[in-house]
Amino acid sequence: MFFASHTGRVAIALSWSALALLGACRTDAPRAAGAHDDFGDAIASAPTPPHRIVSLNPTTTELLYAIGAGDRLVGRTTWDLYPSQVRDVPDLGPGLRPNVEAVIATRPDLVILYASDDNRDAARRLRAAGIRTVAYRVDRIVDFARVTQALGALTGDTVAARVTVDTVQRTLARVRAATATLQHPAAFWILWENPLLAVGGGSFLNELLTAAGARNVYDSLPGPSPAVSFEDLVRRDPDVVLASPESRRHMLADPRWQALRAVRDGRVLVFDTTIVNGPSARVGASAVSLARLLHPGSI
Amino acid sequence: MRLSRWALIVVVLLVAAVVGVAYGTLRLTPLEVLHGALGTGSATQVVVVRQLRLPRVLLAALVGAGLGASGAALQGATRNGLAEPYLLGVSGGAAVGAVIAVALHAPAAVVPLAGLVGALAAVALSLVVARASGGQGDARVVLMAGVVVGAFANAAIMVALAGVDANAVRGALWWMMGSAADATWGQVRALAVYVAIGVGALLALARAIDLLALGEDAAAGMGVDVARVTLAVYVAGALLAAGTVAAAGLVGFVGLLVPHLARMAGARTHRSIIGAAALGGAALTVLADLVARVAHPPAELPLGAVTAILGVPFFLSRLRRLT
Repeated sequence: MFFASHTGRVAIALSWSALALLGACRTDAPRAAGAHDDFGDAIASAPTPPHRIVSLNPTTTELLYAIGAGDRLVGRTTWDLYPSQVRDVPDLGPGLRPNVEAVIATRPDLVILYASDDNRDAARRLRAAGIRTVAYRVDRIVDFARVTQALGALTGDTVAARVTVDTVQRTLARVRAATATLQHPAAFWILWENPLLAVGGGSFLNELLTAAGARNVYDSLPGPSPAVSFEDLVRRDPDVVLASPESRRHMLADPRWQALRAVRDGRVLVFDTTIVNGPSARVGASAVSLARLLHPGSI
Repeated sequence: MRLSRWALIVVVLLVAAVVGVAYGTLRLTPLEVLHGALGTGSATQVVVVRQLRLPRVLLAALVGAGLGASGAALQGATRNGLAEPYLLGVSGGAAVGAVIAVALHAPAAVVPLAGLVGALAAVALSLVVARASGGQGDARVVLMAGVVVGAFANAAIMVALAGVDANAVRGALWWMMGSAADATWGQVRALAVYVAIGVGALLALARAIDLLALGEDAAAGMGVDVARVTLAVYVAGALLAAGTVAAAGLVGFVGLLVPHLARMAGARTHRSIIGAAALGGAALTVLADLVARVAHPPAELPLGAVTAILGVPFFLSRLRRLT
């Protein structure tokens, strides 16, 4: 049972990414009808594009603004803070295990959830209430492309979605080309201090690091933010550390961090903390800022 | 307790401490560890040995000493072989106090004090609950009251964490499972003060605890102010719980396990039970922390999970004997 649904989901993910890759040479039929979301559930067709959208994932919220559908939002999560207009949209609480009643109360005609198992129950209840509900996993850069196009199909503006995807992918290609021949330093990207959480191989930030010309010392760990021990980090001996301004301050004040060669050599770089939420339409700009940080003058 | 047994406990503690400093995810040869400790090795070796492993081993030892002594005194004063700070809800109360202090952005030095207030409140609450049910003399009622207070403390922490972002919740849960990973020399110094005062007070109360262990009436007949001594034991136990919780979160079952081991090693008076439980608790916690550090690289296990895996089977075997 698990296997069947799992392989089904993989097949869907593969076909979506294939669509995203082949997008340029494929004429665009509306994909909302007959398509499936990342839970593998069929997406209900609708006679008209939605006008009251609830997006319970900061990344899909950002994508809706990027493709020009932001003014149709009637609900968001507490963590949706970008772009700044989103603060005027009602805050419905968490995006995982959301308050289903609060969502229904906004009378939405489309609800977009994050496709985590925590949200399966909410999806079922919302559909039972007659609300068109879709769930997308937006964890990797490849997810960005396919989810943006899926949102374009849902909101009825596939052209804006295509332009957004193409712009980001052109920028990413430019960054990759600029850093391809440079030496890739071993990097440690700290997400949290206690417990120590690193960017792992399952995060789009790992892909950003690679594009920007670095090698993540924890890219072999499958999770997006695995917990690691300090001694293990010392053993992996990164050349450079990426930290938030706050973490960097703590690192420089704490004698224990002197165990890291990168800290002793002053190679603690401050990344732009607004990029860590998810692979949104800013992912191209994020790659540029990261490449400039790691390889000044490269791009 | 015979001198040879004391010597054995001290040797076990010293060996645990040396292994704890010498061994870790980062493989160092004994010579490199020595150079690191003396400050003559490479910068990485010196920092790993002096700033990571030494404070960590010392902090784990102090946590274990405080929990062991606290458990030994609470078991004696309540005449309850299952009493210990974690199971009596004292640690949970300390955690609530500490979480509230952290949530209010209180300075680090205030956190253990807030923990102490929480621990004392938990003591008072479990005694009131036990008294209201008319069973404060019944070990099982006191224990059940403690478990209820602990559950309430967990709920209070979850409420305090509602609406906090996911990484902060992960951090708080990690801390509640107990960990010495963030040990600093400052924490070691602060906890040393708490443990010295708490264990010193319990040792001073040891003679009265001996008499209490004979039963409240018998102790009163021999001139012991039962209420005052019981209260003093609880306050000292709360002080130790607050200090250890602020330093390393909730570490359960050490306070349950080691007093029994001390008695099995031949300790009879509470002066020797408390002393042996402090040393034995230190050794056990240092070893448990070593397991937590190296068992599952590159991640660490929570220290409290390791001590619970050791302690729960022991608790169940004791429970059978009690009922």
